[in-house]
Amino acid sequence: MVIKFQDVTLRDGNHALRHSMTPDFVSDYCKVADTAGIFSVEVGHGNGIGASSFLVGKASFSDRDLLSRARSALKKTRLGVHVIPGFATAKRDIQPAIDLGVDVFRIGTHATEATTARKHIEYLRSRDAYVQGVLMMSHSVNVQVLVSQAKQLRSYGADAVVIMDSAGNYIPNDVTTRISALVEGLDCEIGFHAHNNLGVGVSNSLAAIDAGASIIDGSAMGLGAGAGNAALEAIVATYRRLSSTPLQLQPLLDMSSLVETSYRDSLPRMTAVSIQSGNAGVFSGFAPHVKRVSQEYGISQEDLWTELGKRRLVAGQESMIREVAKDLMNL
Amino acid sequence: MESLIRVAVIGTGNIGTDLCERILLHQDFELVAFVGRRPNSPGLDKLRGRIRHTLSDGLDSLASIWAEIDGLFDATSAASHRLHWIEAQRAGKFVVDLTPSHLGRPIVPVLIGKTPRMDLEENFCANYSMVTCGGQSSAPLIYAMATHSDGIQEVEVSSSIASLSAGPATRDNLDEYITATENMARQITGCDATKSILVLNPAEPPVMMRTTVHLRVNHIDLGAVNQEIASLFPRVSEYVPGYELVVEPHMLDPHVASATVKVAGAGYYLPPYSGNLDIINAAAVETARLHFAQSH
Repeated sequence: MVIKFQDVTLRDGNHALRHSMTPDFVSDYCKVADTAGIFSVEVGHGNGIGASSFLVGKASFSDRDLLSRARSALKKTRLGVHVIPGFATAKRDIQPAIDLGVDVFRIGTHATEATTARKHIEYLRSRDAYVQGVLMMSHSVNVQVLVSQAKQLRSYGADAVVIMDSAGNYIPNDVTTRISALVEGLDCEIGFHAHNNLGVGVSNSLAAIDAGASIIDGSAMGLGAGAGNAALEAIVATYRRLSSTPLQLQPLLDMSSLVETSYRDSLPRMTAVSIQSGNAGVFSGFAPHVKRVSQEYGISQEDLWTELGKRRLVAGQESMIREVAKDLMNL
Repeated sequence: MESLIRVAVIGTGNIGTDLCERILLHQDFELVAFVGRRPNSPGLDKLRGRIRHTLSDGLDSLASIWAEIDGLFDATSAASHRLHWIEAQRAGKFVVDLTPSHLGRPIVPVLIGKTPRMDLEENFCANYSMVTCGGQSSAPLIYAMATHSDGIQEVEVSSSIASLSAGPATRDNLDEYITATENMARQITGCDATKSILVLNPAEPPVMMRTTVHLRVNHIDLGAVNQEIASLFPRVSEYVPGYELVVEPHMLDPHVASATVKVAGAGYYLPPYSGNLDIINAAAVETARLHFAQSH
């Protein structure tokens, strides 16, 4: 089985950079990534195209600027985007991305809300685009729900289904159970997207491959939301020890070095807070918002994460963090 | 005594049924008919025997009752609404449209006369669109903030609602929802750079609707905004009792102001977590009341 490695550095990595990634960096990075033999490079705002907003964070550069520079630099590797219905629309965001030459569209919904992806998947399939259906916060539902939601995405026309561990909550056993059930239950490729809150992002990715996943997300240096993603260079380095693959390590190490030198001060890492948020099962992208509100109100990040977990907030409810802090302080 | 506003509701889903219960308890209205397309729909069953007509032949049923009503609430679908509106014009009746057709004039009751093009129709035969839940819940807040701002550069409306309160129509029409909500923000502020976001949260127990408004401005007078809210929101609460400011206007940076409202439903037929549906229904009834009062 050939594994499709998908590099989300230039999309999820934007969370770590507060969505400030520059078109020049995107171009430089894509030139190296194009030599790595990976399936795709995903580009855009951390929450996907069309998501730049006061709510989740304003991007310093437009989707168009980033995508067109990536498009020029990528000759062999596919260009991908993440799209969340409710943030992005077909007309304003998806169609321009098609026109710019994007190859891989990933339509992402919360793990229970696959139905909100139907129109956007159908829009893309009617235009012959390759589409992956993505279930975010996949840890928050049981295996049966996950499989039935994945089947819905597939029924709308998704070519593959990817589950995201958006909170970095899984340990390898969780991944094995879910990916096995999805591989068993669906007639399409299954993918996995790790976050490293608990330090097991790479192990989880290997567990996913072992259970039959053939699409694996990762990012250089793990550049991504919260404690970051699984480091793509480490996934490939370890995968090469287990299976034969034509993938060479050197380009991935060069990509890693490029990230390290360019964004040394923004590299994500596992911290007490990331472990707390991973265990609480809260979306990793909340991290900068939680930090800010905790400083403003003088409340501990740990208390905030725990309460956000109890209230089961989802991505796009960033503006509620302030309300939760006020409630905790009886303001 | 003023005459009662004689109305029918077409569309016997949750929204139509909630509208019926709401209208039955409103002293200004007489609910004449509830019209669906299936004789055994749960909504019709609920109303049968309590009002003059419960009918199940859709358009044909409607044709038989025009003489008995002044206006119609349409809780069907955008496609059906286009047909209903043609018939309503022939009959000379007013229509309040709760579908996503966006055919009629967008109305947020509390802003009538305050915002450009937010006026009642002069003709009795009129069509009003209830915009979106995000539009209804954000509009009073946008108005209060924008009225006391200079140099508005961007307006953003983000709402989160309980998954259970988002029916198939909402899920299939997210793009249309976004566009309609942005158009309302543009209409109130005159600012072209608008953005709206809708998020569904499946948490149990279900979450109450929240709507946050962000405004990028040269200057905003937060004191004046708070006074505006203090005078405006009680009038919203008259028709949406569950409408409440939960995060006061504050600055995220020197040029970005933000505030959040919560909308709890009144619980007529729909549960309280359906604030998104409640505010649309409440606005619909209030719009019909105001329209009838000024044109009758």
